[in-house]
Amino acid sequence: MHGGGGGRWGGSVVGAPQRDRASFQHLGHLKRLMPYVRRYAVVLAWGVVGLLIARLALYLIPWAQKLAIESLEDPVAEPYLVIPAILILGVVASQFAIYIPARRALRRISIAAAYDLRKRFFNLVQYQGPNFFNRFGTGDLMSRAVNDISMVRMVVSFGAVNIVMFVFSLAAALGFMLAMSPALTAWVVAPLPFVAAIGFMMARGMFPFFRERQEALATLTAFTQENLNGIRTIQAMAQEEQEIERFRKASTRYAQKFYRAERYQVIVNVAMTLLTMISPVVILLYGGLLVLDGSMSIGAFTAFFGYLVLITAQVYSIGFSLSMFTSAAAATQRIFEILDYPREVVDVAEVELSGEIKGRLEFRNFSYRHPGAARPTIDGINLRVDAGETVAMLGRIGSGKSTILKAAVRLIDTPRGSVFLDGKDVCQVPIRRLREAVTMVPQDPFLFSAALKENLTYDQPDRGDDEILEAVHAAGLSETVERLVDGLDTVVGERGTTLSGGEKQRSTLARGLIRRADVLLLDDCFSSVDTETEELILGGLQRMRAGKTTLLISHRVSTARHANRIYVIDNGRVLESGTHEELLAQGGYYADLEAVQSSQDRDRARRGQLLRQLDGARAETMPLAATGSDD
Amino acid sequence: MSEVTAGRNYSAFDAELTHQALNMRLFMRLLRWARPYRITLGTSAALVVVWAMVSVLMPIIQGPVVVDTILAPNESAESRFNFGLIAATEWLSQLFSMPPLGGAVMLFVGLTLAQLLIMVGHQLTLSSGALKTLRDLRLDLFASLEHKPASFYDHVAVGRVMTRVTNDVENLFRLLREFVALAGQFVPFFFAMVMMLVYSAELTGIVLLIIPAAAVATYIFRIAMREIFRLVRDSMSALNQYLQEDLMGIEVVQLSGREEMNAQEYRVLNQENRNQEYRAINYEVVFETFNTSLTSIAIAVIIWYGGGQVVQEEMTLGALLMFNMYINMMITPVSTFGHFFNTLFRAMASGERIFQAIDWDERLREPEHPARLPERLEGRVEFRNARFAYAASDPVLRDVSFSISPGEKLAVVGPTGAGKSTIIRLLARFYDFDDGMIFVDGIDVNHIASGDLRKRVGVVLQDFHIFSGTVLENISLNDPGISRERAQWAARAVNADGFIRDLADGYETELAERGHNLSQGQQQLLAFARVLASDPEILVLDEATSSIDTGTELIIQDALHKLTHGRTCIIIAHRLQTIRECDRILVLDQGMMKELGTHEELIAKRGIYFTLHELQFQDSVGAAELALRKRREDERPRWVDMSDEDDEDDDDVLGRRGMRTARRT
Repeated sequence: MHGGGGGRWGGSVVGAPQRDRASFQHLGHLKRLMPYVRRYAVVLAWGVVGLLIARLALYLIPWAQKLAIESLEDPVAEPYLVIPAILILGVVASQFAIYIPARRALRRISIAAAYDLRKRFFNLVQYQGPNFFNRFGTGDLMSRAVNDISMVRMVVSFGAVNIVMFVFSLAAALGFMLAMSPALTAWVVAPLPFVAAIGFMMARGMFPFFRERQEALATLTAFTQENLNGIRTIQAMAQEEQEIERFRKASTRYAQKFYRAERYQVIVNVAMTLLTMISPVVILLYGGLLVLDGSMSIGAFTAFFGYLVLITAQVYSIGFSLSMFTSAAAATQRIFEILDYPREVVDVAEVELSGEIKGRLEFRNFSYRHPGAARPTIDGINLRVDAGETVAMLGRIGSGKSTILKAAVRLIDTPRGSVFLDGKDVCQVPIRRLREAVTMVPQDPFLFSAALKENLTYDQPDRGDDEILEAVHAAGLSETVERLVDGLDTVVGERGTTLSGGEKQRSTLARGLIRRADVLLLDDCFSSVDTETEELILGGLQRMRAGKTTLLISHRVSTARHANRIYVIDNGRVLESGTHEELLAQGGYYADLEAVQSSQDRDRARRGQLLRQLDGARAETMPLAATGSDD
Repeated sequence: MSEVTAGRNYSAFDAELTHQALNMRLFMRLLRWARPYRITLGTSAALVVVWAMVSVLMPIIQGPVVVDTILAPNESAESRFNFGLIAATEWLSQLFSMPPLGGAVMLFVGLTLAQLLIMVGHQLTLSSGALKTLRDLRLDLFASLEHKPASFYDHVAVGRVMTRVTNDVENLFRLLREFVALAGQFVPFFFAMVMMLVYSAELTGIVLLIIPAAAVATYIFRIAMREIFRLVRDSMSALNQYLQEDLMGIEVVQLSGREEMNAQEYRVLNQENRNQEYRAINYEVVFETFNTSLTSIAIAVIIWYGGGQVVQEEMTLGALLMFNMYINMMITPVSTFGHFFNTLFRAMASGERIFQAIDWDERLREPEHPARLPERLEGRVEFRNARFAYAASDPVLRDVSFSISPGEKLAVVGPTGAGKSTIIRLLARFYDFDDGMIFVDGIDVNHIASGDLRKRVGVVLQDFHIFSGTVLENISLNDPGISRERAQWAARAVNADGFIRDLADGYETELAERGHNLSQGQQQLLAFARVLASDPEILVLDEATSSIDTGTELIIQDALHKLTHGRTCIIIAHRLQTIRECDRILVLDQGMMKELGTHEELIAKRGIYFTLHELQFQDSVGAAELALRKRREDERPRWVDMSDEDDEDDDDVLGRRGMRTARRT
């Protein structure tokens, strides 16, 4: 959802993993930011010096007031007003002349550092493999790229400078105050460390309240979104009142958490105000006594108030700056966790893939285990697709079919010596070249929020209309394109026109076909397409893929039957292989599947028998027990 | 013909409302929700005024009281208006027999503490009142959304509606809070001005000259910055959206070899954002400096001109100090005022969006005197010359009449756009239509309250909507009328018990929204269990089309058999074996009833059904293609019967048309 505050991404990203409160042990991570700031070291130094000078000038204002008032106190002395007033205007001028460029320079550094971090983040993430993306979901990565980088930016821009400024301001103010009255200074400054400490503790204490409030909001948002997405189901089941009651509870809970966070903040304010109030009381009482003594002027007395205001503001914010530091350190750690992640699929160019590619794809005793998995996903598979052949793979969900396809294009870290294209190990070929020669259409039909045309020519945006139309036709997408208001220029995807599941599938198919690759891998690309359209597409496929290699996964016998050869995969092994007729004759899994998917009377008896077998065995091994998507 | 939704302009709902003018009506309307909490909110407002008055007193103590009467006694001081603070100081010091300075300090401490307490009271009452007000508003908004009919959601994107419930209500909270904060600044502004006038009208006049200058400058800055901040926000969200899409489609990116090109595109967006940020800080830093400088300039004026007045004994030294302290109270509200207006306009637009949704009067027509249904319906369903068209489009049902006797199963088949789904939508009363068209047990469905009807007509959609929650909650949908036992019984009855028990926590397993941790077949079975648990007399079902593996397919067929047993059923069938399970078959084409009869009758008739049956089970591609080509030559409608797609009007039983959801973040 859109966050509040600073626009769409201002708030936290819903769905991001929960975070722990940052602590001092993270602070070491901040030094990782050094390379991003170091290149601006000179500008940084000038900026800080500028700020310090500007700050020092600001401290002249109470001094100028003091001079003026002292001249007024003394009935004998000449009034001394014009020069202090001009001095103050001079300070104002210095702020414009020095503060503005210095502050600007510092803030530009923080923006530049965020820019560099983002750039590096994007470049590295794009080359990562499946383990990385399993470990860091999209929501998590977005949260790191958005919230954590902006946190780092804050600390570069304000945090670090604030601390330098704090030390300096305190020293300068102390200098001025000591010059006026050492005794009073000691009393005035005494409570300030407590203010800073309490401020820091309170800022950290705020965290759980704030987190609970955010969580309650996230719950409420998620509830509303789900409810509205499923509104038809809710209305169909007549559950509206029920849902309104649940919403009432969720929104009341949010209001309560919100109130608690507010209450905490009020308490923080009370505590801080109570502490900071000690200093003016001291000035009033002890300073007043000193004035009555005649050991201090009224001018100095008022100047003390002036300096107090200046440093209290600093002390107030230092607690928050410190807590910002710990948060930024934790954010830095999260960013570098991504930036330091080693690349899973390493690109080497040991063997060139030059000349004409015949398209013979071979898996030799190929085994693969997903990191952390107990069993291998693929267990010694031997599979061959000769040049120009069409081969189909069938099998249950989770049998390892998709992994086989991914290994061929190195979407996983394919072990060396197991997959060969035209006899060359795919691990030794440059990845870019490999993926040009071998095109895979993945199972999940993902479309970008862009014109349909841009989606179809995603690999190479400058393709001509003829090429596009041919692929559109072959993928059975022509009628969809005609139906769309802007034809091929219609924006599709998340933020565009919604296409049905089948239309999306056919679009991704067209995106694959358009590349006319030497080898085409189709991962269950017809599941949402009706059988008749499928026949049409298969016809188109045959035309476009004549003489080229195709390896496809399907659940339907009607798709597989046209292949030159069919492999049935189960538990990472080849269970059956052969032509349609051979497999039917074997009477195994494939024959069962055929029986279930047809509705001819002769198969009825067989279906009943199969169901009885399934009922008995289901609890242990049968497909329904296996959860999760394919591979 | 029903034309309920005709003439509605949904684009008005989708349009981005931006408000630029004050709208008092809107504000008054918002106050209606605040009514129950008027005591809390009223107290809060009263407290902030008291607080403001106290804060104006503090500089008087520091200036005229301490300086003019104690530190540098000046006889003219006591004659000035001072809220009796000088008298209070004297009284306190006499009471505790202290020197006058002690009395002044006590007064100062006492007032500061009082101020603190008042502030606490004010903030707590404000938060509590405002949060409750908006909780109620949010609830009313949600309730109104919950009752909007299918025709509304056909046209309006869920994401758009969502932001009203979340962001827009938050904006109103921000408005309430800032409004009061501003009041807390402007009240002292006026009090301080009065005090300054009392002490020196001339100096006040000169200081006040700064205010309009500050106001104008602030205004200009705001205008300039609003545009720049918008550009910053837009460039930021473009940047983030690009990253997000790239991550979501990373497989496609890598497979297409687009990494470098995308890095280039991202860099352009990144640069654009950086440049906008650079521009924004240029303004911000100048504005920041300008703001702090205003106070300094005012102080210079006070020293120079006010000092002169002190020399001429037109003003006391204490009053000069007091002016110095008041100056912040004068300038802060002016420089924050512009900010308040930004919030105000944003909140006005939010308020308008919220009320637009609440006021949107699209509702299903409910009978005035709903018919009372018997404990158990027999389950007779009749369509009598049913006709229907969706808003401003061609009729989908032209003339459909059939009746189903209790317990009978009717399969509905036909090409895309034939009107199959519409039959289900109408029977479950998702749309308004004319009386005398559809009857259940002889009662016109328009005479039955839609809630009552839907409890008797169970609907199984093609895609099963999974809500995040446990398996059990997904079966019972949190209906208190459905016990755990009943839900489990239903799951057992439709063969779902086996796989549920194999899940990590059985019935307590948490499911993610959209059910990414369940297979297609498992989702189907849960959908069956959900509808069986509510035990409707009439069942309407849109069979799922996606192909599943052998075992699952068999289990689902068996479950379907059990589910439909003893119930009146209308099934939009995509599989021939399902059709064969039904008693009769209704063939629809272009909203017209073409054939109705048993499988054998229709086969014998050698009509549309026969063609479909033959077509689907031809043995080779060649034959299928031949048949297809022949059919195309006949210019018959496209015969897509295993489809969950294509035609907008027919893609899902309850009409997903135009439904776009901001599903992922």
